[in-house]
Amino acid sequence: MSKKLQGNGLWESSRMMLPEHKLELINSAKELKRRAPVELDEHEWEQIERLMTESYQLRQPIELRMYHPYEETKVIGTVDRIDSYRGRFMVDGEWFEIKQIEGAESEGGDAE
Amino acid sequence: MAVKRTVMLADCQSFYASVEKSQNPDYAGKPIVVAGDPERRSGIVLAACPLAKAKGVTTAERVGEAVAKCPELIVVRPRMAEYIRVSLQISDIYRSYTDLVEPYSIDEQFIDVTGSLHLFGGNVETMARHMQQQVLSETGIYCRFGIAENKILAKTACDNFAKKNASGLYVLEKERLAESLWKLPISKLFMAGNRMTYHFHAMGIETIGDLAATPLDRLKQLMRRKFGKNSDINAELYWRIASGVDDSPVTPGTHESPPQSIGHQMTLPRDYGTLEEIKVVVLELTELVCQRCRSKGFMGQVIAVGCQGADFDRPTGFFRQFKMADPTNVTNHVYREAVRLLERHWDGNPVRKVGVTLGQFSNSEQYQLSLFDDRERFMALERATDALKEKYGDTVIMRAVSMTHAGQARDRSGKIGGHYK
Repeated sequence: MSKKLQGNGLWESSRMMLPEHKLELINSAKELKRRAPVELDEHEWEQIERLMTESYQLRQPIELRMYHPYEETKVIGTVDRIDSYRGRFMVDGEWFEIKQIEGAESEGGDAE
Repeated sequence: MAVKRTVMLADCQSFYASVEKSQNPDYAGKPIVVAGDPERRSGIVLAACPLAKAKGVTTAERVGEAVAKCPELIVVRPRMAEYIRVSLQISDIYRSYTDLVEPYSIDEQFIDVTGSLHLFGGNVETMARHMQQQVLSETGIYCRFGIAENKILAKTACDNFAKKNASGLYVLEKERLAESLWKLPISKLFMAGNRMTYHFHAMGIETIGDLAATPLDRLKQLMRRKFGKNSDINAELYWRIASGVDDSPVTPGTHESPPQSIGHQMTLPRDYGTLEEIKVVVLELTELVCQRCRSKGFMGQVIAVGCQGADFDRPTGFFRQFKMADPTNVTNHVYREAVRLLERHWDGNPVRKVGVTLGQFSNSEQYQLSLFDDRERFMALERATDALKEKYGDTVIMRAVSMTHAGQARDRSGKIGGHYK
């Protein structure tokens, strides 16, 4: 009951917000968090390729940072297949797109 | 000790009317109002431009009365979606001055500029003028700025002083409340309506200063006598408002926190007098409420139904709630309980306003299986209808009762907040 006296309670309990307005606000807040994909240079791609090949050949776990417009996503596991013709790779039975990779670390914590 | 904050409450003048005026050059220099549909009972003035107000037109009066006062008045239908768009555009402008922007309603926003004030040489009035000018040139809307060290004083500064100021700006200093805020009658206190003003008068409190000067314990005593034991919190709330005490932060993400309950209510175009008719609206509202719960992934356990009679001066009706055996968001199951509440508590008087609310949420991804109902089938059905509505609009699939005379679903789907989109 004393919520009115705590934090932002006074204003949360007294405001008049249309649900449609609220929804648009939440969407626009989300858009503010949108980011563009990181562009990697040749050297960085080489590193990633090397780590992925190592993971594939030596069955070593790898951690790949993937692009997502709003969230931080990672693929962690062992590379099962690399399909460079279709630009994709498989980790634990699931396909991912190679062009969405933004960085890689091997199990040992090797930098990208 | 923390740094003294600088908080603004920016309010748009005659917001809906100003949007219409700025977007339609034909309206320039003419009195206009934005009003609900005259054919339905919502035919009241939602916003009047300053020219119309000068002729005596007031917000919330009937269109007929307004036209009688001002025969050349231009009456415009609301375009709610556009007002929301402009409101967000204004938020974006403020956000170019500070990231701490909290919309409080469609035409009011709190802005904490403590961190960026130095960019304007520490002069808050210069900064506010800049913001006011930018909003005016980009949207055509004139904004007023209440400025103070916290939100309640900023709001108070805007409502009582900035709106009446030629510049539209007012800085309310906490050290000088005795010369400003405390001189105002108690009816001007934020959150004090007619009823509360009446009670304050009965307690011998005439001005906001009188209230601030009343020791909190004494105020609690006085209020307990009127409202019972549970009034301590409200006593402290009013006392803090009068004293200008408020440590609540400007919270940009405040609208993202999950709701405690989801409810919809509707004012009917005419009085509904039979149970059959009221049940149609209850079903439509239940459908909307459950649809929103499903889209957010909530199941609710407490259902509340309210009905209000036509004469708001002689209130009739009820507001009752019921805790269901299991949480759910299946329309038919919630509706079953809603009707039970309606049948038990409706006294037979004509009804003008109906509301349905679902609360006490749990996550809809995990739930207790129930052996004796066909919940899974209903959930599959509703997944399909929700997807259809999402893609083609709310009217693509409706219950048959919505096509009867009592049905409001079609009408409602064309509106935001009860007014035309």
